[in-house]
Amino acid sequence: MAGTSVLDDIELVIEDIGGGGKPPAGRDGGDSGDDGASGGDSGRARGSSSARKYAIAIALGMVAILMFFMALAAAFLVLRTTSGRWLAFHVPALLWLNTAVLLASSATLELARKRLAIADDEGFRKMWATTTALGVAFVLGQVIAWRELVAAGVYGASSVAVAFFYVFTASHAVHLFGGICALLYVGYRKFKKAQLTRVAAVEVASYYWHFMDALWVFLLALLYLGK
Amino acid sequence: MASFQPNSNGEPVAAEPWLPTIFSRDHKSVGLLYLWLALISVVLGMALSLVMRVQLGHQGASVAGSTGSSERYAAITLLHGSLMVFFVLTAAPQCGFGYFFVPLQIGAREMAFPRLSALSFWMTAASLVGITASVLVFAGSGPTVWLGSAMCFCAAMLAASLNLCVTVIDSRARGMTLPRLPITVWAWFVTAILSLLIFSILLAAGVLLFSDRMFNTHFFATAALAQASIASVWQRWFWFFAQAQVYVAMLPCFGVVTHLLSTYSRKPVWSERMAVLALCAVGLFGFCIWGEHMFASGLNPFLPLVFSMLASSLGAPALLLIACWFGTLLGAKARLTTAMLFALGFVSLFLSGGLSGIFLARREFAGGSTGDAFVTGHFHLVMGVAATFAILAGLFFWFPKMFGRRLNEALGKIHFWITFCGVYVLFMTMHWLGLLERTIAAPDAAQFRGLRMVIAAATVATVSAQILFFVNFFWSLLRGDRAGAKNPWRATTLEWSVASPPPKENFRGGVPVVFRGAYELGVPVAGEDFVPQHLAPELLAKLR
Repeated sequence: MAGTSVLDDIELVIEDIGGGGKPPAGRDGGDSGDDGASGGDSGRARGSSSARKYAIAIALGMVAILMFFMALAAAFLVLRTTSGRWLAFHVPALLWLNTAVLLASSATLELARKRLAIADDEGFRKMWATTTALGVAFVLGQVIAWRELVAAGVYGASSVAVAFFYVFTASHAVHLFGGICALLYVGYRKFKKAQLTRVAAVEVASYYWHFMDALWVFLLALLYLGK
Repeated sequence: MASFQPNSNGEPVAAEPWLPTIFSRDHKSVGLLYLWLALISVVLGMALSLVMRVQLGHQGASVAGSTGSSERYAAITLLHGSLMVFFVLTAAPQCGFGYFFVPLQIGAREMAFPRLSALSFWMTAASLVGITASVLVFAGSGPTVWLGSAMCFCAAMLAASLNLCVTVIDSRARGMTLPRLPITVWAWFVTAILSLLIFSILLAAGVLLFSDRMFNTHFFATAALAQASIASVWQRWFWFFAQAQVYVAMLPCFGVVTHLLSTYSRKPVWSERMAVLALCAVGLFGFCIWGEHMFASGLNPFLPLVFSMLASSLGAPALLLIACWFGTLLGAKARLTTAMLFALGFVSLFLSGGLSGIFLARREFAGGSTGDAFVTGHFHLVMGVAATFAILAGLFFWFPKMFGRRLNEALGKIHFWITFCGVYVLFMTMHWLGLLERTIAAPDAAQFRGLRMVIAAATVATVSAQILFFVNFFWSLLRGDRAGAKNPWRATTLEWSVASPPPKENFRGGVPVVFRGAYELGVPVAGEDFVPQHLAPELLAKLR
């Protein structure tokens, strides 16, 4: 069974670029493979393949993050009506300002992308840095809101509603921290020898940042309306 | 550290293929590290199951801990379950085989994110250390350490799943269209999607529980909640994860078994596309039937009917898979290698365990059954033992590719038959015990002593038989027959087109072109009966 045969000695047809496309026309002697589901264009450049890879990864990552927060939101809605320790909780006023800061960061990020599209490198860097600064400002604002609540003696142990506030804000801040790291990486990386182009990296980072922005608006609405 | 040396083709291959580079990002090293981790866990898990069965067989003894320590026994049960479910049944088929073979089978040089591969492994290893230490080392803070470690495992699985998904979507070789994907890759892909969804849920539940333990919050505090509320929050989340987790463990096994049955039967997978659809359907249904575990927990009266119907309808894709397996085997001159025997053993165990699952899907039957011997027997037969058979089948099949040597077939077959008979005696007796416990109004422990002794004896025999496997495994690693040809099973998929063990970067630094599907078996070509995926049509015409 384990002898060598002609089939064992067949040389692989090796290409330099991968990607799940169809074999060259007229060479397909096996099944057609014509399903419209090929993994990509056979002639595409490495940079675009890499960009697609990161875009797919960030999309899947967002699905997983959404499941995580939806599970927390489901618990919030169930415990709101069943928990004996649910006391109405008013979100700190500072959160509205923080939300405005985060929304502004999404706007500046889009401005940065527009600058990059017209090859205005200086303008892009300024707007990108502003976005990063606004992101950091949002997290600092959340920390200040936490400190205000703690100073006022409002702890997670006092009410499940308050506990949810801390869990929502902390979990969101942890995920947003990942976004800030991505902004810093894109802002400071040279991208001369990287597989990924700056345009592609900016696009992928912007998907995540806007997602974090929308997620926060949802969480704030939940906390505000579900009190 | 593994060193590399040139093989007969001048390609760099690992000098000691069984010794993966510890901090490597190479997918083969990470896959091997996962398999070694699973091996350590299975040894520990089996030792714990022996302790538990001996304790249950001799109720007066204090084998599982200090005298009268029921908490200690519960902790050992928890450790056994955690090790087996997380690090063996989940990690070995999905991450061990998955990391090693996904890039090889789709014609990629590496995983999409090699750093993420290494990170997921090291998080899994840290989780194993934490979970083991939580029971064996820490006393008071054990549950918190266990919880933190379980959350770490969730994060590791999320990272691994994301990596596997992106690799399958983006890194396929030219010509490796979706219909041409081996069914193993489909199974790993569907499992990765399912894992992405469910491990996030368990992570969220873990965050709240961790908050309760560390910050004195009251998400799950029993004093503040009615019994029904506890069920509605914790149990829903847990079963949302845990029921789907069964399919995270089983789906890769379905893929491996389908692939092996076809290869050893020398026939294409019967209705291959239907098998792929069935795999997807198992993933979808598995995600929706968590409520079947809550029939005893006070659900809305309408819901058990819905979940019961959903759980029963899982039988449809399961039946399709079984039809594919028998359709493949029908009229085949199957090669009864050890790998094939374990694959057939999996089919047998899956059918037997599936039959008792039909009873458990019924609301009136399942209502009072949570945690009894019938459920334990069903669960272990389907998920634990059947999945282990599939892992062993995969190991016997891919051992030559991974290590360049073959496992001893004679020893493997003896190991198979003892294990196969042992698990049937063990778990069928457990089913019987469960049924008796139900039918007797006021069961007395003494009445079932005989059955418990049979179960304990069968456990000892089955666990002892695994010594044969370990002897075979380690002897073959060092002294086993060299695989000789790079394709000893005459298989069609791409991993068999490269040397055994595969060289660094798999395909001489490039990626191969794929010309056909993964199951062109039984086709006479140049004295052989298969057409490899990488064989170009013009060359095939010449050979014919």
